[in-house]
Amino acid sequence: MSLIDSVMAGLALVGNWEAFLSLAIGVVIGVVGGAIPGISATMAVALALPFTFPMQPINGILLLLGVYKGGIFGGSIPAILIKTPGTPASSATILDGHPMAERGEAGRALGMALWASCTADFVSNLALIFFAGFLASFALSFGPPEFFALILFSLTIIAGVSGESLLRGALSALLGLLLATIGLDLVYGTNRFTFGDPNLMGGLNFIAVLIGLFAIPEVINMVWHPTGHMGKVQKLGSKWVTFAEYKRCFRSIIRGSFIGVFLGSIPGIGAAPAAFLSYSEARRKSPNKANFGKGEIEGVAASEAGNNGVAGATLIPLLALGVPGDVITAIIIGAFMVHGLQPGPMMFVLNVDIIYGLFIGLILSSGILFVVGGLAIRGFRPVADIPKRILMPMVLVLCIYGVFAVNNNIFDVGVMFVMGWVGFVMSRYHIPAAPFLIAFILGPLLEDNFRQSMLMSGGSPDILLRGPITWFFWTLTVIAIVAITRGTMRAAQSEG
Amino acid sequence: MQVQLGIGAIIGALFLILYAIPYWVSSPSNVRNIVLSPLFWPYILGGLTALIGLALVLTGRQRLGGGDPVNEPIDDPRQGMMRLAAMAVLMMATFWVMPWLGMVWTSMLAFVALAFLVKTRHPATAFICAIVVPLVLYAFFAHVASVAIPQGELVRLP
Amino acid sequence: MKLRHLGAFCAMGLGLAAAPALAEYPERPINMIIPYGAGGATDISARTIAEPLGTAVGGTLVMSNITGAGGATGSVAVQNAKPDGYTMLFARVGSHSVNPAMKATLPYTLDDYRFVTVYEINPVACAVRPDSGIESMEDLVSLTESEGTSYSSSGVGSMLHLAAVFVLDEFGVKDPLEKATHIPQKGGGAAATAVLNGTATFLCTNTSALASFVANGQLKPLMVTTDEPVPGFDAPSASSLGKSDLTQLVGWTGIAGPDDLPDDVAAKWGEWMAEAAGNEKFVEQMTARGSVIEVMSPEEANEFIETQYETFRALVDKLGMRIEG
Repeated sequence: MSLIDSVMAGLALVGNWEAFLSLAIGVVIGVVGGAIPGISATMAVALALPFTFPMQPINGILLLLGVYKGGIFGGSIPAILIKTPGTPASSATILDGHPMAERGEAGRALGMALWASCTADFVSNLALIFFAGFLASFALSFGPPEFFALILFSLTIIAGVSGESLLRGALSALLGLLLATIGLDLVYGTNRFTFGDPNLMGGLNFIAVLIGLFAIPEVINMVWHPTGHMGKVQKLGSKWVTFAEYKRCFRSIIRGSFIGVFLGSIPGIGAAPAAFLSYSEARRKSPNKANFGKGEIEGVAASEAGNNGVAGATLIPLLALGVPGDVITAIIIGAFMVHGLQPGPMMFVLNVDIIYGLFIGLILSSGILFVVGGLAIRGFRPVADIPKRILMPMVLVLCIYGVFAVNNNIFDVGVMFVMGWVGFVMSRYHIPAAPFLIAFILGPLLEDNFRQSMLMSGGSPDILLRGPITWFFWTLTVIAIVAITRGTMRAAQSEG
Repeated sequence: MQVQLGIGAIIGALFLILYAIPYWVSSPSNVRNIVLSPLFWPYILGGLTALIGLALVLTGRQRLGGGDPVNEPIDDPRQGMMRLAAMAVLMMATFWVMPWLGMVWTSMLAFVALAFLVKTRHPATAFICAIVVPLVLYAFFAHVASVAIPQGELVRLP
Repeated sequence: MKLRHLGAFCAMGLGLAAAPALAEYPERPINMIIPYGAGGATDISARTIAEPLGTAVGGTLVMSNITGAGGATGSVAVQNAKPDGYTMLFARVGSHSVNPAMKATLPYTLDDYRFVTVYEINPVACAVRPDSGIESMEDLVSLTESEGTSYSSSGVGSMLHLAAVFVLDEFGVKDPLEKATHIPQKGGGAAATAVLNGTATFLCTNTSALASFVANGQLKPLMVTTDEPVPGFDAPSASSLGKSDLTQLVGWTGIAGPDDLPDDVAAKWGEWMAEAAGNEKFVEQMTARGSVIEVMSPEEANEFIETQYETFRALVDKLGMRIEG
């Protein structure tokens, strides 16, 4: 079957209002779900799944993909408005989005988040359509040694989000790495810092740590200084993002989209590291570096481009290999199987109409996201006008419900509270929270892939340099470290 | 302050290396290769923490008297500490009471207590929100998202 | 108060009210705990039976994933729950026969649960990459003996971990722990990927997890642990290879409550399960994944799990695989 035939077959499947409607409903569910902390994109997809069983396969899958994409964008709404990421992927958006909201420019930040998200989503979908085959075979050449090198390189982005002091950033990262060791050991299954408690054996819940670290310190800070916000007007603001700003950030958005596509096509990394990497790259390249972390609109654009760039690309390993890249796509695979479809190379032969139908639907989804997202921003407008001393108790209650719902475990609420105090003390000592979070995500990956490599080679370190991919990332790591050291030296000299 | 932080990091690292890792991380006796041991990575992290602590102390001493970021001062530090202590008690109470009283009722109480603690200027609004917000969240999570929100032993909601 | 009591309180909070008159059981939603994450074999199995089961029960079933520690976190939540039948567990081969057999520090034992049924059995298949040059179990065994091989699993103490060792041991590999390297991954999906990208030589896991890879020709099955061949898997059965002991090595999903679950509640579950598992759509969906639907009575379920546990325990003790720390 030629390409034209395939496209026509796909069009025949999705060229009706049911397909369009399911996609739109999906995006709406996703944006709303993503905007409620604790629901997150993952849970929204899981909740929508059973409702898609009776639908046509293509419509059901389009609905779920809509939820996924909507959820990743929706997470940025609470991240900007109340400093609580609705979905882990939007934690990088807080860094500049929330300071903007505090300046009374929440509307501008949200507008940029939407534009960047839709652009990245579009780029990601195009990448899926054109490069699925190529990127998928590339993804399979990533074994533990390659992962180890990639993650080691990703850890250097900590320097980009450390703020003023690299040492404090490093301290924060170490704290995150240490907390991530709690739980059962990967290779031997023995206990590490669990004190025999079954709740600790699974490790600290990521969402509980995330919300505890970002949202709860705000609440505690309000208790410490109840009138501190007076004089700072937090409003949505009349200012909306302009096309000139979009143009200014366009390079960062495209760069972020490609970072997202690349990391998304490799199983097991996910959207949060992509957002942070895109953010730190944008900061490195930007002429107004000093503004990052204080409400620079380009930071919002880069983070949102990074995480939405992942959304289309995670479908590459899913469709081409049948391998889910993250939890969300693992759930979506369930939907394929319920309908008797088996993702993998054979699907491009057996169900080519569905594949092309999905492609066409995905292209549409970027446009739908733009419309629905714009409406959602207006819908959530009132949040910005709630008096802060009413808003904070609301945030507290919302976080309690949300964190419980993630794993149905009250213990996680306790973890969130404790992490809230850790975050508060860290902010008193001006230790940035972002490196902690990145280290908490990447730390276990780094350790596991290192030990898996060692198991593969029988303890010989040679395996860590086994092929061109590893050489490439090692080189990048060395370059990054040299650049960071030189930058720090220069800063120290100009100071002294 | 940076020196304090550095010293804190060094003490923490020593505690990890000398006490916490040997006692709280268990490792099987038949580990063939040291790099595969469950202890290997924690020890590396402990060592790195000590190094960073040392660097913090050294650089902190160099530029004593300036360069450190400062916190915004508040008018009533003593009462501020009291409020923080009250917040800690509030969180602990919330955590321990929740299984018995149920999440909805506990969060209503927590809402009121917190609004009172930050001395809200809209007590009536706060009170209404304290009742409405947990109920709405309950309705959403329990009936739309089908999450088994803890109900407690006293009054069950439909 | 000790932290470990916390789980008890969590679970109690979920399902408490003034002592319900059991004649009316269930008078409120039943909380069904799935101790594994969304998208996994247990989750799919649980959510597939949820609909016919809900109809049979005539009440609401709330599905709650409590993940962590290879199923232990969710299992402990039920262990400590009030035995009133309002908190039940989807138990799985990993959490309730492999884990107890392998982990000395596990916070629960089989005696802490009362099984009301086992409703799904899913055979295990061992698979390699088609370009690995391994065509049969014989090839795999001789390669293991000569050069050594490696296998992936979803973690230490998972069914996949034990399955690979069990198979090698049955096929006469002396000291399989030394000759084959275990490369644990995080989760079943990652375990399959590890074989796909060449990190590990082979894996032994449920046919449901392998079906799509086998259908796509990405993985080649070498053997299935059944008496009869499994449709869709072009590989000999364990019995035809003369290793009928391996038929003990199957995945299953069952439903359990805390150990002092009242008899009438258990009896009710027996009726409900018989009705739910008769649902045609359910059977069709499950068999499409290679599962066998067979509802066991509480006694049969207990005996089945106990036998499997003993088999695994004997192997673990023989090879010194028990995790003590």
